[in-house]
Amino acid sequence: MAGRNALIRFRYRYLSGRLVGEVLSKSWIDAAIPVVALLVTIGIMSFLIPGLLGAGHIADLARQLAEFGLIALALTIVIMSGGIDLSVGSMFALCVLAALVGMNVLGLPFPTALAITLAAGSACGLLNGVLIGYLRLRAFITTLVTLVIFRALYDIVFPRLASAIVGSTPDSAAWDYLGFGKVQGLPVSFVIFAVIAVAIHVTLSRLRPGWRLRAVGGARRSAYNAGINVKRTVCLAYVTSGLLTAIAAFLFSARLGSTGADTGIGLEIAVLTAVVLGGVSLGGGRGSVGGTIVGATLVLILTNGLIRLSTPGSVNQLLLGVILILAVLFDAKWVKNRGKILSKVYVSPAYLDLPEQARTKDDPFALNDRLRDVELIGLGAVEGPEDVVLDGQDNLYTGTRHGTIVRFLAPDYVRSEVFARIGGHPLGLAFAENGDLLTCVGGMGVYRVSPEGAVSCVTDETNRSWFSVIDDSRLRLPDDLDIAPDGRIFFSEATIRYEMADWILDALEGRGNGRLICHDPATGRTRTVLGGLIFPNGITICRDGQSLLFAETWACRVSRYWFDGPHKGRREVVLADLPGYPDNINRGANGTYWIALLGLRTPTFDLAMRKPAFRRRMARRIAADEWLFPNVNRGCVMRIAENGAVLDVLWDAAGENHPSITSTCEHKGYLYFGGVSNNRIGRIRLPDTDPAWTAQRDYWGRT
Amino acid sequence: MGFLSRIFGRSGEDGLSVPPMDGVFKPNSRLDDATRILDLPGIDNLALAAGALHCSSADRLLRIDLQAGRANNLRRFGRPITAVAGSPRGRLAVAVEGIGVEIGGEGNGWRLLRLEQRYADCITAALFVDEETVALAVGSQAHAMSAWKRDLMSHGASGAVIRHRIPTGTTDILCDGLAFPYGLALDAGGNLLVSESWRHRIVEPQSRAVQLADLPAYPARLSPAGDGGYWLALFAPRRQLTEFVLRESDYRREMMATIPPEAWIGPDFSSGNDGSLPLQAGSVRQMGSMKPWAPSRSHGMVVRLDRTMAPLESYHSRADGRMHGIASVVEVDDVLYAASRGAGTLLRLDLAGEVPA
Repeated sequence: MAGRNALIRFRYRYLSGRLVGEVLSKSWIDAAIPVVALLVTIGIMSFLIPGLLGAGHIADLARQLAEFGLIALALTIVIMSGGIDLSVGSMFALCVLAALVGMNVLGLPFPTALAITLAAGSACGLLNGVLIGYLRLRAFITTLVTLVIFRALYDIVFPRLASAIVGSTPDSAAWDYLGFGKVQGLPVSFVIFAVIAVAIHVTLSRLRPGWRLRAVGGARRSAYNAGINVKRTVCLAYVTSGLLTAIAAFLFSARLGSTGADTGIGLEIAVLTAVVLGGVSLGGGRGSVGGTIVGATLVLILTNGLIRLSTPGSVNQLLLGVILILAVLFDAKWVKNRGKILSKVYVSPAYLDLPEQARTKDDPFALNDRLRDVELIGLGAVEGPEDVVLDGQDNLYTGTRHGTIVRFLAPDYVRSEVFARIGGHPLGLAFAENGDLLTCVGGMGVYRVSPEGAVSCVTDETNRSWFSVIDDSRLRLPDDLDIAPDGRIFFSEATIRYEMADWILDALEGRGNGRLICHDPATGRTRTVLGGLIFPNGITICRDGQSLLFAETWACRVSRYWFDGPHKGRREVVLADLPGYPDNINRGANGTYWIALLGLRTPTFDLAMRKPAFRRRMARRIAADEWLFPNVNRGCVMRIAENGAVLDVLWDAAGENHPSITSTCEHKGYLYFGGVSNNRIGRIRLPDTDPAWTAQRDYWGRT
Repeated sequence: MGFLSRIFGRSGEDGLSVPPMDGVFKPNSRLDDATRILDLPGIDNLALAAGALHCSSADRLLRIDLQAGRANNLRRFGRPITAVAGSPRGRLAVAVEGIGVEIGGEGNGWRLLRLEQRYADCITAALFVDEETVALAVGSQAHAMSAWKRDLMSHGASGAVIRHRIPTGTTDILCDGLAFPYGLALDAGGNLLVSESWRHRIVEPQSRAVQLADLPAYPARLSPAGDGGYWLALFAPRRQLTEFVLRESDYRREMMATIPPEAWIGPDFSSGNDGSLPLQAGSVRQMGSMKPWAPSRSHGMVVRLDRTMAPLESYHSRADGRMHGIASVVEVDDVLYAASRGAGTLLRLDLAGEVPA
């Protein structure tokens, strides 16, 4: 049995499948799949065709990619705006015609011919854009019609000028350089393409026009409601598409110097395949320039490879069509199911064996009803007071889930005011020596509030660990903090895997997802002190000024850690196998400490913690509201000595006022408690304590 | 097979989905709004004998004085009573765990029916077919009534419906292999109907025809309604987590071996207030209140069925209510009496003037 448990423990520590969920939650996963497909295709093709990766072929591919890739980018922009442009092929042909007429037939100078070509492309795009953007025609049918119209125009004009185009060669160095020149060994056209691609990438991902375009594609109605000019954005997407197609056509003309009747025929299917393979969603709003380039490269390698394998052209088209269908199918399923898969695999349980605490006859944790006569403060006016703290004038401060710190005014705590607006849910609170209020804000970081109520950020990041897939440099769930005599701020981050709203889900994992972090105001640096902690929660500096007590909630234990002095680096458990889950720790009178238990262990949950596979199947197979949780509907507060001896325990037997208690704080003979999912603060008179004791005096030696 | 069905099994016996409470079963708070006429801890089976309402409570049989709102002790049986039935002429049949069925109410004391011992521990419901014949639902032949949770968690299917002729002392088995039969009724044609709790359905024992299936909760006792239909009490809700644990043999076995049954995952008559009870995610108290939709272990639910067993309307007490664990109801003169075993309360619901939904 012990051997089997050790095996389970090992299996779920090192092979828990945690990385699958973390990788899936990354935003680059959309682009990773096309890259894998590309590598596989290159692998297969270079096996089938020796010399595929030769220098000559690569240069040729680069030129093709420049033209093909520009058209793919054109289509990417249109699809991301929520539309589609089927007319790119015939638009391309028309622009090629315009360029050749300008250069070869009319003998115009290079810049003029370029301007004519770009104007032709923009005009075609504008036609699409006005019809679709302003007149609200369907993108699919409109561009299908313009495909036919542009092609018809081409077919009418081209035969009359065919001989004139072939008959003369323009005398322009720039034209030749564009077609055949190289920069640092790279074709000029490819360099132009690369510059344009980078510009489009920056625009789409970093600049306002790009955000607007994606917003319109993602949710047209919401974009409209957000004040975005939807019509103009859509229209401009088609104009941009025409412009990019025109650039591609100009490069094509410079390279070949002629055109044929079949120029651009079937191009839209190839481009569409490239774009969809590149992970651009046909639904709009999703996609990237990088993905499109990968998709375009893939299609080019595939078609070139098939040509070199002397496959008939019709078979190539067929294959391309099949790939397109498969890509569309995959895209549809992926977009629809990615979130579902993620929610099913993200929870990744580990093995956690909590020994049952021996229950003796004089069990200090025996249920009592000492909190029955609790005085309620702010009932219904405060939501989610995770921590409570009092200042020198006896005013009471607490954070709320509305993102504010509320101050209840002494002496009766009836009147309250918003002391500071922060934006995230303030959790742990502590006063610094100079009277500033420091707070850990869920999802944000550690913040400082001056006595006047001015909010400033203390720290919101720490050092990134080397092997973490999740970006653990950002603080995700800072929970509680305390201040050392020299001003250093020690705080706990409960978990790096869950957001504030899902904090209890971390209980299902039972892994060391949390850490202890130190911020030194002298240097401004924030460093992780201890990692791999199981939901580190409450933290308080011991009276020796060299060590601190911290609670690991799901591990049901309280440990002491020496951060300074002769024992620096030592860590020992002072209180293990508690009957419940410890939350915040605060100093109390007479050298004691107060700990709140936010919930109680249940035999069924403890058993589940020893069966990670059970919890994993549970998370996959049943709805989240039905998951087994620790019993956080029943908590208590306890007073301990520094050595961990339990001195006193106070319960709310009915669980009506304080089902779960996340924090407790002693002040002038009263004990105050908060609860992160409660709508009230409680206060009770302590019979046998120092009625003058305050935390300020204990910490900083003054009242 | 078990392996395959764990991977692919999404339907039938392997499905984890629970029928939703919608349509006729749409939850309301009518049981919590009902008049509470009597507090009696452990009140369980209601029965009419010669027009008088009787009930059981732990080991006591009581007659309820509706005018005074009191219950008068008739007899203590020393062991928990598991079922009570009454006849039109005033005969009473009382099933006592570990003892068997005692017949009384005729003024000449009580006498024990001669039944096989394997039936004696878990008689969940009784019904007078006529004055001389009593039909009995045996929930399980493997576990006693007080160990009903263990029967559920071990996929118990050893229940039976038997018929006993009082004058001759003969017993015949109408049907066995049932998964915890928990209620009996007679239809217009004199055929028996039985609610099979662990399979969430109502069947006709002799023909094994399923009359009503896929109930969203565990059915308990049946009783006749005034219009020729039936009342069905459903003592606890089905939960996905329970269905899941029922399929997790390893976890379930260890849970049954090491944890006291009160703290098991699974249905119950009341949700309790003990910190050692399992809690599901939706049941976390938020801002001082329990959500009515919380996935609780217990609830209160009574359903009115028509003559063809089609549900007509339902009465509920949800997660935020208290009238949980109703296992028995009786209709008398357009008034419905419901015994909430979880809250230990007898409820009165006036049916006159109410239009069935």
